[in-house]
Amino acid sequence: MKTFAASSVLALLAGLGLASAALADGEFAGVTIDAKLIGGQQYEALYARIPEWEAKTGAKVNIVSQKNHFELDKEFKADIAAGSISWCVGSNHSSFASQYPQLYTDLTPLVPAETIAGFVPAHIEAATLDGKLLILPRAQFDVSALYYQKSLYTDPAKAEAFKAKYGYDLAVPETWDQVRDQAIFFADPPNFYGTQYAGKEEGITGRFYEMIVADGGAMFNDDFSPAFNSDQGKMALQWFVDLYKAGAVPPGTTNYLWDDLGNGFASGTIALNLDWPGWSGFFNDPAASKASGNVGVAPAPKGAAGVRTGWSGFHGFSVTEACANKEAAASLVDFLTNDDSQKLESAAGPLPTRTAVWEHVIAAAASDPYKSEVLAAFQETGKTAFPVPKTPYWIEASNLIYPELQAAILGDKTVDEALQAASDAVDGLMRENGVY
Amino acid sequence: MYRMRLPPWLVLLMPAFVILLAVVAIPLVLSLYSSFTAFQLTRPETITRWIGTFNYEKAIGDANFWAAFGRTVLLLTVALNLEMLLGLGLALMVAKVTHGQRLLRTIMMFPMMFSPILVGFQFKFIFNDNVGLLNNALQSLGLTDVAIPWLVDGNLAFIAIVTAEVWTSTSVFAILILAGLFAIPQDPVEAARVDGCTPWQTFRYVTLPFLMPFIYIAMAIRSLDVARAYDIVQVMTAGGPARRTELLWTLIGRTGYVDARMGYANAMGYIAILLSIAFTVHFFRKLSSARTSLGMGD
Repeated sequence: MKTFAASSVLALLAGLGLASAALADGEFAGVTIDAKLIGGQQYEALYARIPEWEAKTGAKVNIVSQKNHFELDKEFKADIAAGSISWCVGSNHSSFASQYPQLYTDLTPLVPAETIAGFVPAHIEAATLDGKLLILPRAQFDVSALYYQKSLYTDPAKAEAFKAKYGYDLAVPETWDQVRDQAIFFADPPNFYGTQYAGKEEGITGRFYEMIVADGGAMFNDDFSPAFNSDQGKMALQWFVDLYKAGAVPPGTTNYLWDDLGNGFASGTIALNLDWPGWSGFFNDPAASKASGNVGVAPAPKGAAGVRTGWSGFHGFSVTEACANKEAAASLVDFLTNDDSQKLESAAGPLPTRTAVWEHVIAAAASDPYKSEVLAAFQETGKTAFPVPKTPYWIEASNLIYPELQAAILGDKTVDEALQAASDAVDGLMRENGVY
Repeated sequence: MYRMRLPPWLVLLMPAFVILLAVVAIPLVLSLYSSFTAFQLTRPETITRWIGTFNYEKAIGDANFWAAFGRTVLLLTVALNLEMLLGLGLALMVAKVTHGQRLLRTIMMFPMMFSPILVGFQFKFIFNDNVGLLNNALQSLGLTDVAIPWLVDGNLAFIAIVTAEVWTSTSVFAILILAGLFAIPQDPVEAARVDGCTPWQTFRYVTLPFLMPFIYIAMAIRSLDVARAYDIVQVMTAGGPARRTELLWTLIGRTGYVDARMGYANAMGYIAILLSIAFTVHFFRKLSSARTSLGMGD
């Protein structure tokens, strides 16, 4: 009830500044905005709204590049290196933003304050680096919740066997220790696995990071020296190692990234799967998923410190510092992230980043129990979600950390050896770059 | 007024010089220069931060770099030899075909027409431990009841990568060796038969020496390809897990473009080039001696 009241107040506040700055007719006539946008089917519906903005303002949008974020990231870096930043609007991601401190401009003076107030405050905080608001988030908020196969919890024989083995009732897990027990219990390799996890690149580093936080530790100290070689870090890494050693995860999990995980759960061979909201429709689609009709969604479990895992990120748009017409570019970014744009985008499943749109999607899903369950789980997880550490060296540090995590998981190194090696490498990176 | 007149030969060569300068020399010099700086893609001003041989010392002292170097040499050796043997076999068989040889030659070149990225995805799916074609086939046939971690175990992942490389490039050897087979004069072969040589002796002492120059040319071309192996490995394993399949160019590519440390990546690249130079020199020496032994000049 308290939550409902609070969210209603938030919705009301957001409603006051609901629409972004009204667009004046022909305000930017003759202006052409070059944009580099993330490409992919799930992102295209929003771009279909661009002609509406063009008709209203008289400006033109020229999409000069459309790629996935990893490719865009490389392209941005090449543009910075070549000094050829001739474009104005770029897709951005909270995990990547800190890498380009000079590329994008502060949006605070370009966007009305009430527009900014309409976003979930935690996202604006995550989009602000060194006091500069660099991104306006679109309706692509990502945090992971726990998908599971419901039938596993309705089988009396399983419940009895589980209780006999572990001494407590079999129920949808609320802690990561319970996930470990249940994953090992459910596993029947090579036909069925208890769980799975992203095993490489930022995927595994991010999962390790959120597990450390859930266990009460930290990835970095305040000066960005590595803090993960700690008791909490060892506890977190041990969780991944235990599951691998027990055969509770597919043996190839250290090579998996998001598509492999999504397709794995949809193949019906995975019991519990911590995954992103974008998969919810796919998992329950009878044409695409063998688990459809049997999918439950629960908030992310808690670690040893009683904190939920909640590594989060979001897509958004930024305006370059080199842009000749920042007002027009900011107007486009504002338009692409306003309530109407977010309603359109979130209708397909992705989570919104504006408070008023959260209320809208929850109301719209009221008649659909599965969708309501999905939204409730992600909203609950989102309450305590946290972004990646705000250092430009996050991705680089991740590239030093993940091979060591893999080495521990695969048994090439002990947990202590792996974390020590990763910590030394990250310490060297930070020192080399003059961070401390 | 004095007008400088360039000699005609220089004027005629000038366009080639300018193009070579623009597309080869300038990028080479720039990348060599940046390997002595702290150049980071995201901080263009760092290209003027001269740090001497720091990047080279760092690479030379990095065990991960040398492990990737060793793995690349191993991949080169295994892939090249396998491709040569299979290509030779394929060429010898195709050379015997009297009807439909053109069609066979075209079919043989199909794998070369696929983009390496596509080949990577194709083999990544085939070797996937959970939903992959190979494991499902082995389990369905009752040959195993476990999910073999093809792309996780260091040795198996190496085999998987070699398989993809061999599948895509054996035809390079086959086509070049086939060209060699067509060029062999028939007199020595027939003389060998008349002298009572067995088919194996004819092949070993007459046909093969004639083919060796072609084989070494194919080896030189493919050694440069494999030493720069990136696409297939990046897609299949990205050098992992736990650096088990890390090759020079997956490491260099990640350092340069993902970590944005272009200065360091270029330093590693220049050390890596030594490998390509060594293999190229080796194969050209072999080619030269093979030609000499055939009386084809030095």
